[in-house]
Amino acid sequence: MSRTWNPHAMQPHAAARTRSAPPGIPDRFWSFPRMRRYLLFDATGLVYLLIGFVILRAAWALGDGPEAWGRVLHDYRNPLYLLFHAITLVSVIFVGVRFFRLFPKAQPPRIGPATPPPRPVIHALLYAVWGAVTLGLLLVLGGVIP
Amino acid sequence: MKTLLLRLEPVVWLLFGMGIMLGTILLPGWLLVMGLGAPLGLVPESAVAFDRVHALAANPLGRLVLLGLIALPLWKGAHHLRSLSVDGGGHERDGLVGGVLYALALLGSVLGVVAVARL
Amino acid sequence: MSQLRKKTFVITRFDPDKDQVPKTQSYEIECRPDWKVLDAINFIKDEVDPTLSHRWSCRMAVCGSCGMNVNGEPRLTCKTSLAEYGDVVEIEPLANFPVVRDLVVDIDGFMEKFESVKPWIIRAKEKAPEEGTCRQSPEELEAFRQFSMCINCMLCYAACPVVANSPEFLGPAAIALGHRYNLDSRDEGAAERNERFRGEGTIFECSYANECSEVCPKNVDPAAAINQAKLLAVLDWARGLVLPRKGGK
Repeated sequence: MSRTWNPHAMQPHAAARTRSAPPGIPDRFWSFPRMRRYLLFDATGLVYLLIGFVILRAAWALGDGPEAWGRVLHDYRNPLYLLFHAITLVSVIFVGVRFFRLFPKAQPPRIGPATPPPRPVIHALLYAVWGAVTLGLLLVLGGVIP
Repeated sequence: MKTLLLRLEPVVWLLFGMGIMLGTILLPGWLLVMGLGAPLGLVPESAVAFDRVHALAANPLGRLVLLGLIALPLWKGAHHLRSLSVDGGGHERDGLVGGVLYALALLGSVLGVVAVARL
Repeated sequence: MSQLRKKTFVITRFDPDKDQVPKTQSYEIECRPDWKVLDAINFIKDEVDPTLSHRWSCRMAVCGSCGMNVNGEPRLTCKTSLAEYGDVVEIEPLANFPVVRDLVVDIDGFMEKFESVKPWIIRAKEKAPEEGTCRQSPEELEAFRQFSMCINCMLCYAACPVVANSPEFLGPAAIALGHRYNLDSRDEGAAERNERFRGEGTIFECSYANECSEVCPKNVDPAAAINQAKLLAVLDWARGLVLPRKGGK
């Protein structure tokens, strides 16, 4: 049914008049599907942390010269790197979909004189920008332009 | 450490916000080409040859994008891993965990600035 | 008449004078098909076991008294139909709160957090009566109306993973209501509240799990309020860095 997690959760600073039982959480608290999705969302933090350092290494190699860059390209053909990049791509899409769903309602009704566009418009704009930037990078990095 | 983190929360949150927004928007393009397309032979070798990539990256916009690809994901990653640590019952160690993670993100960001500067 | 249906209710019991830890007790009763969970609990108290303690009042989801965890989910028991459940229904006190007795939780922790955000109109200087009332347009009302619908039922606290882990975290309802006043055109206390928002139990502990909004029975959407409040608190903090803080707004 339930168990204790943090015994001090929601504890008042003033002492209670009778002895209370510590707060409980239901057995499903951390494991039901929606919570698992949220925890997975947080866990993508590891992937993001790693990819930052992986791209850092590539940028550093670019500064070192052609041989270093060649080593990077060679390493990227390693199945472990391919797997990591594939997992990162899936994670980034998962994060993007969830974050773009939650972002529109996080805009205050106004900041000074400015009011945000309606939430569906913000949602659509986010995907439009995501698509445009991805396409742009694909074309540029992929050798199509310039 | 916890008090320092409390005072810096607005800054960290802004960096995290930029990280998740811009990092997520920038990463798929990079991953599709550099992470998967080129290694799998779907992208011509000439496209990712050193001279071309270096020229693209050394361009002012290129430097900015590359820096974004390095630094932005780090702040999202650090913030969410800190969150995950708290989710797992790590409230007591939050000062330490947050401190270490944000220091890591800061280190990576600084190195990122150096990396794009020396291109 | 429609068929009565037997259901078993596994209910958490705790008597601080007798029990070291909470335990469960099962009650098998015949239920009417149109009953809510609260009807079953009231029947048990009235007809089976008068020692069962629970909070309830309006029976129409406006007072916020009857929140409990039903089969692991925080629900308003007056609003939750028994038809949603099978033969066994588990009823526990609201998660994340210390338990006073049986299904009654200690809400003083919430009241402390709630009062600390000053959920009332703050004005630097009250208008004199001859100046008339504070006028507010429908558009100005609409800016915060959704967040004013909170009935303080605390289901959001029972659902929040941060509340479960961080005892000082202000929590969804307190932040949403503080934000409601920050958005109110009649209010001039945003600077004070934003300082509280950035203080101990800071709103930035919120990790946008969105569970609070998923369980809210009044569609307050506290997650929206908290995350709007984060941006406004950051802007307030930035403004405070650049401009010296004066009194009032």
